[in-house]
Amino acid sequence: MSETTDQTVVETPEGAGKPDMIVLEGVEKIYPGSTQPAVSQLDMAIPQGEIVMLIGPSGCGKTTTLKMINRLIEPTAGRILLDGKDVTHVNGDQLRREIGYVIQQGGLFPHFSIADNIGVVPKMLGWDKQRIRQRADELLHLVGLEPSTFRDRYPRQLSGGQQQRVGVARALAADPPVMLMDEPFGAIDPITRDRLQDEFLDIQRTVGKTIAFVTHDLQEAVKLGDKIAVFATGRLEQYDSPDTVLTQPANDFVSDFVGGGAAVRRLSLLELAHLELHPVETDEKAAGSRNGTPVVEVDGSGKPVSWRHLPGGDAAGTAMVTVPISGTVYDAVDVMLDGCASLVAVVDEEGRAQGVLHWNDLVGGLRTRKGHA
Amino acid sequence: MSTATQGTVNTQAEASVEEVEGKQQSRLAALWMQHYDLVILPLIIVLVLGLLLLYVGSRDLDTIEERVLAADNVGGLLVQHIWLAAISTVLVLVIAVPLGIVLSRRGARRAQGPVLAIGGFAQALPPFGVLLLMAFWLNFGFWTAVIGLTLAALLPVLRNTVVGLQQVDQSLIEAARGMGMTSRQTLFRVEIPLAVPVIVAGLRVALVLNVGTATLASYIGAGGLGELVQQALRLNRINVLLVAGGVIAALALLIDWLAGVAERVVVARSG
Repeated sequence: MSETTDQTVVETPEGAGKPDMIVLEGVEKIYPGSTQPAVSQLDMAIPQGEIVMLIGPSGCGKTTTLKMINRLIEPTAGRILLDGKDVTHVNGDQLRREIGYVIQQGGLFPHFSIADNIGVVPKMLGWDKQRIRQRADELLHLVGLEPSTFRDRYPRQLSGGQQQRVGVARALAADPPVMLMDEPFGAIDPITRDRLQDEFLDIQRTVGKTIAFVTHDLQEAVKLGDKIAVFATGRLEQYDSPDTVLTQPANDFVSDFVGGGAAVRRLSLLELAHLELHPVETDEKAAGSRNGTPVVEVDGSGKPVSWRHLPGGDAAGTAMVTVPISGTVYDAVDVMLDGCASLVAVVDEEGRAQGVLHWNDLVGGLRTRKGHA
Repeated sequence: MSTATQGTVNTQAEASVEEVEGKQQSRLAALWMQHYDLVILPLIIVLVLGLLLLYVGSRDLDTIEERVLAADNVGGLLVQHIWLAAISTVLVLVIAVPLGIVLSRRGARRAQGPVLAIGGFAQALPPFGVLLLMAFWLNFGFWTAVIGLTLAALLPVLRNTVVGLQQVDQSLIEAARGMGMTSRQTLFRVEIPLAVPVIVAGLRVALVLNVGTATLASYIGAGGLGELVQQALRLNRINVLLVAGGVIAALALLIDWLAGVAERVVVARSG
């Protein structure tokens, strides 16, 4: 076994210089009985702690690529390095115990309780019962399920969204540095999916895993990915940040795949916290200063309830809509359209108005705050 | 750390003690609601046997009838009958389940068709004929009958084992392998447990089949309740024939009922 420890540091677009956790070198897969490779000559590096979204039409090789990383599918040629170690020929079962794996609908074992499902890998790794139990409780907490309620239930007693959370908890059980996710949120209703995605990002912020994530949903790829890898019939067409994939598609295939609506999708990449917002004043402070600043009326706890003054606008006839500052421009546009309002108050965690975003700002160019380029 | 856990465990235990009584009652109620249909068959069996006893008791039996219907004669044949059915079913279990598992493995899937066809052929043969032929080939007696019964009942279990393993959700197998279970661990911890309800259904069919077919074993001198029928016919005693028929039917129904209960327990366990 050639245990090469060459830490190849490929320059990422962000120039972060993080070591690559997963490296594919000239990886190829030709299925028996087929002449056309499912994946051909793939070179790809996933930096530590990043989420890379593998996307493309069906049969493009994204799932094959994912499954070659944990060798559920054996590559026909090429090398796979995990954390600098060549794992192309190590024992596949041992390897897979060190890699988290989440599939559609969780893939929970119906005859195992939730705690036992989470404990599958720790049990194989020989942890003692007490430790497995503690770990299961800890992880249920992490994914937002109350351990005392859920640990002894069976998968069929859980909703699809809850099952998927347990699926993520199970993959995290032995604290693997790398996670592979195969369309985990694919079969879940849009509202729940959205919430699961948010929770997933929250969890990722605390666990910082290196994640390869297969999806067919561009929206999901843009929302979750640090990078997006666009596949077409076994070839990697573009591998870049979501912003670059959307604004500068590498070729016709990618631009077709990204399709129309790229500009709208980009909005979900712009975080309100990073934008230069118009100032806003609350009623007590600005009783007399009726200049160019909008004034809001607030309730007892400082939450805006209506517009008192809008420069050049009808304050009484404009609906008060708010968006949390933790959201994106996409969310702001959403509430504006929903409330038929031409401007939106951006509020902080306590619900107090921090600034205002105008509809016109969207077409007039959004100004990014200094230091957040 | 451990004291804190101990504390929560204790409070949980106290809370659960209070809950237990109420829970037990509601659990019994739920069990009753789910399985009240299981009471019907034993009631019918008891009723039929009771009527039979009443009828035979009201008749004046001659000495021959009394001797044939004596508890030790009927009881002995009954026990022999149960042994015939039980041993052949255990043999079916021991042969057909492992064979079915082997046939569902990737390497042996090609052999599935031919083996299932042979099993179907064995089942299509009339058991009576098979028993007689086997008696000439081997010899007359208990073990020859056991072999014949075993052959006749192999197919349902073999087929259900193969089908039961086939219908296990592929994504679960993939999840198991993806988490690093070896193929053996996947088989024993995921595939077989999930196939058990189907396999048990096949075993139930085999058992009931064997209880019925064992009646024919008496023709090759293996005893069983068929012997009672033969005695009745030989002696031309209609009362004995009635009892023989009643006991055979009641036994078949009872065994099927027991197997049904076992099946439900297994299905409830495996979720």
